[in-house]
Amino acid sequence: MELESKDTSAAARLSESDLIQFIDMIPALAWAADADGLPAFFNQYYLDYVGLSRAQMMGDGWARNLHPDDVPVILADWAAIMASRREGTSQARIRGADGQYRWFLFRANPLHGENGDVIRWYGVNTDIEDRKRIEEALLNTRSQLAHMTRVMTMGQLTASIAHELNQPLAGIITNAGTCLRMLGAEPPNVEGALATARRTIRDGNRASEVIARLRALFTNRNTAAEPIDLNAATQEVIALASTELQRANVSLRSRLTESLPLVTGDRIQLQQVILNLIMNATEAMSEIDYRPREIIVTTAREEPGHVRLSVQDVGVGLDATAAEKLFTPFYTTKSAGMGIGLSVCRSIVEHHRGRIWAENNVGPGATFLFSLPVHTDDQP
Amino acid sequence: MMRKRAFIAVVDDDESVREALPDLIRELGHEVSAFSSAEAFLASEGLDLAHCLVVDIAMPGMSGLDLQQELTRRARKIPIVFITAHGDEDIRARLRQRGAVECLLKPFSDTALQDALTLALGSG
Repeated sequence: MELESKDTSAAARLSESDLIQFIDMIPALAWAADADGLPAFFNQYYLDYVGLSRAQMMGDGWARNLHPDDVPVILADWAAIMASRREGTSQARIRGADGQYRWFLFRANPLHGENGDVIRWYGVNTDIEDRKRIEEALLNTRSQLAHMTRVMTMGQLTASIAHELNQPLAGIITNAGTCLRMLGAEPPNVEGALATARRTIRDGNRASEVIARLRALFTNRNTAAEPIDLNAATQEVIALASTELQRANVSLRSRLTESLPLVTGDRIQLQQVILNLIMNATEAMSEIDYRPREIIVTTAREEPGHVRLSVQDVGVGLDATAAEKLFTPFYTTKSAGMGIGLSVCRSIVEHHRGRIWAENNVGPGATFLFSLPVHTDDQP
Repeated sequence: MMRKRAFIAVVDDDESVREALPDLIRELGHEVSAFSSAEAFLASEGLDLAHCLVVDIAMPGMSGLDLQQELTRRARKIPIVFITAHGDEDIRARLRQRGAVECLLKPFSDTALQDALTLALGSG
């Protein structure tokens, strides 16, 4: 008690010049703005950091040292924060006196008058350059890891890929051979030759579509964020895996809910998750010979505002300890596996603000599920 | 002695093969019917008419090999030319050992098919 009152009185005794010195010296970019958002004050630390005078910073001057790309963003955010009359944040790159841009988090806090109107804004800008760098590195690592596992999956799919390509190639060669024979006949069968030539072109296009699909799936590139039809994405994966499923003697049924809402994200990465779940389900049934090997892929709405995809098998199922560790890196129940497939799946799904999990079926086998938030227009 | 004009049944689940192969086989001077599955072929009169079968190995439901077994079980001696989009020389050798006339790896040329049919019809 004694000590507290002593401290309070000491604080009260801080002179105005002490307070100004405190504000100027505190290692943060501190500022104040008046009710209509115009700058009113910048602390000395801020001025030293940007290498400008207080006068230069007034009016629109404070925006001069921002990265040109970030100015529209921060002005829009600032307008929104002022309209909300509540605390808010934005991000922009500030050029320091050394000429280097660094990312800052701008945080503004309103002081309300008695009638609830904002009479002053107080703000602090925090250097988040290091955090940004780490986030970027993390994103990069995630997409490289995803690419690596895709390439590993490709190894499992070589037979499917060869089949997908050989099929249209066979069409091309057969049709072209037929075409030549029809033209070489006496008299030439021009009508038949035209039809076979057209089929040759169609099969050629089919082959190049296969290549385009494969390239999209196995090329390393940046993570995208676009609206995705999960049903269409799923059907492409099923087509790609179909030969492999046939070889493994697995029948796959799909129950795709019609007019499913779109989700947002990276189509290829989500397809990788689906492919991974299907291949895992196939593997889980490799030793099942006493019942038909069957996979059911389902898509459904999940309230509120989510869609769900599930891959159900009739394989060996999960034991209780495995279910917990399944999505952990390097955990594997397979002799040949590295144990990174599902952990990459989890990383991808969580990056899409979704959830992935597994459960045992009431009957034989297990079901792997993930759910994702539906696409909304204001998402990037 | 090879039949001058034979009846060939093509069994493949791939639609473009069912379009392309019959035209070529007709150009080679034979009659032809195409079936989308082994089951459909077994249920048709093609079973009694066919002098030779051109069969895809991997099909949903009954595979080409299942069809071969079923024909053996029914004591139907129809020469078989297998076609496959994911075969290799090993599979080819094994299938020939097991009684197939030939196994053509997709993509195959018109002359390869012609040779296989000649062989099949000569042996049939």
